[in-house]
Amino acid sequence: MKQHLGRQSGVQNVEVSLRDGKVDITPKEDGRIDPAQLLRATYDSGVSVAELDMTVRGKIVKDAAGNLILQSEPNQSFTIASNELSKTLEPLANSATYVTLHGQLYKKANGKKKPDATVPLKLVVLEIGNKE
Amino acid sequence: MSRKQLALLLLFVSPLAPQSQAEIKHVEMRVEGMT
Repeated sequence: MKQHLGRQSGVQNVEVSLRDGKVDITPKEDGRIDPAQLLRATYDSGVSVAELDMTVRGKIVKDAAGNLILQSEPNQSFTIASNELSKTLEPLANSATYVTLHGQLYKKANGKKKPDATVPLKLVVLEIGNKE
Repeated sequence: MSRKQLALLLLFVSPLAPQSQAEIKHVEMRVEGMT
């Protein structure tokens, strides 16, 4: 699995802890990494993903439907799931402020073995970091 | 300022500008069934 993930686009380094079942992935400096692709690659290597957390920096924008989106460049964005923390991001919507968020992008549903590719991943904000 | 001077100015100033690119800093997964 480590080798398989290490070959994915944008991956700089992969650390696997067999004891905790934890996989740490360090992206390359340009940050061009696709979490959905990492999920698929992990399943392809025969391992089931229980959770995927990430730290990501970007701008907050609001779409036409009123959803908050963390816009990351180039051409990457994550819809933010609504929770208490996400409400505090509302004033930053469509501003020039960059914010660093730590959140959960995927959690395995009960009874499901493989992620449903048709359901878009939403970022559940767990922690709000630097605002610049 | 000529076009050449302007181009040179941009060339030298651009690396000093703050990184505006957003990026994923770190990804952590918890997996099951690993041997």
